[in-house]
Amino acid sequence: MMMKPINIPVILGTTRRGRLSAHVARFVTNELSKRPGVLTELIDIAEMPLPIDGAGDEIKDPVFSQKMENADGIVIVAPEYNHSFPGLLKHLLDTCLEEYIHKASGIVGVASGPFGGTRVVQSLLPALREMGLMNIFTDLNFSSVGKVFDEEGKLKDEEAWARRTANFLDELIWMSTVLRHGRENVPQE
Amino acid sequence: MICADCGVEMTRHAKKVIYPRSEHEASLVDEALGGVLLERHTCPGCGKGASQVQEPK
Repeated sequence: MMMKPINIPVILGTTRRGRLSAHVARFVTNELSKRPGVLTELIDIAEMPLPIDGAGDEIKDPVFSQKMENADGIVIVAPEYNHSFPGLLKHLLDTCLEEYIHKASGIVGVASGPFGGTRVVQSLLPALREMGLMNIFTDLNFSSVGKVFDEEGKLKDEEAWARRTANFLDELIWMSTVLRHGRENVPQE
Repeated sequence: MICADCGVEMTRHAKKVIYPRSEHEASLVDEALGGVLLERHTCPGCGKGASQVQEPK
């Protein structure tokens, strides 16, 4: 029997003008799209309705909710803002909950400095855990992102980034596959 | 729980304590757990997910 594709969308987690994370998100989405048996798409939070007169479940967007419902795993591309995550990324993620339960996540940290967004990764982890996501142990870290891409948004050293990204995606696809099997076939008492 | 699309029994794979989101759910709060129990089910046939809040036994 042919297995249905694993669905892993990539969330671009910033709305800031001139965001270099957009180059990163496009690259990761492209690498994911090369994998056989994987469906992906880029979800840009700048294109999502983000009302600020409410929060959480009460401002749930049916389109984003359905995308999370259909996902087996997610990639979050997040720049580090003041040692943490962008507020609007958390605002959007908070609109869903049950859609995430027992699904895989992987974080791509982006920073203009030398630490590759390690602090955005660390600050996201407790929130993702509470949402029911199972985050993988491999992260992708784009340090000094201003030097990583050329003026056209292409990676200067694509081969090295493709190898690092492959390692990240191998783990995320495995975890997404195993968790889907568990959700569908392994009951809890 | 039965899958609305396939009609097969879904797999209950998670029970998560959450804060109540409605007056009805508020009436179901288990004080020992500090919230209500959200059950998450997934269909082994089509992969569709569904949730329900556990009613008191």
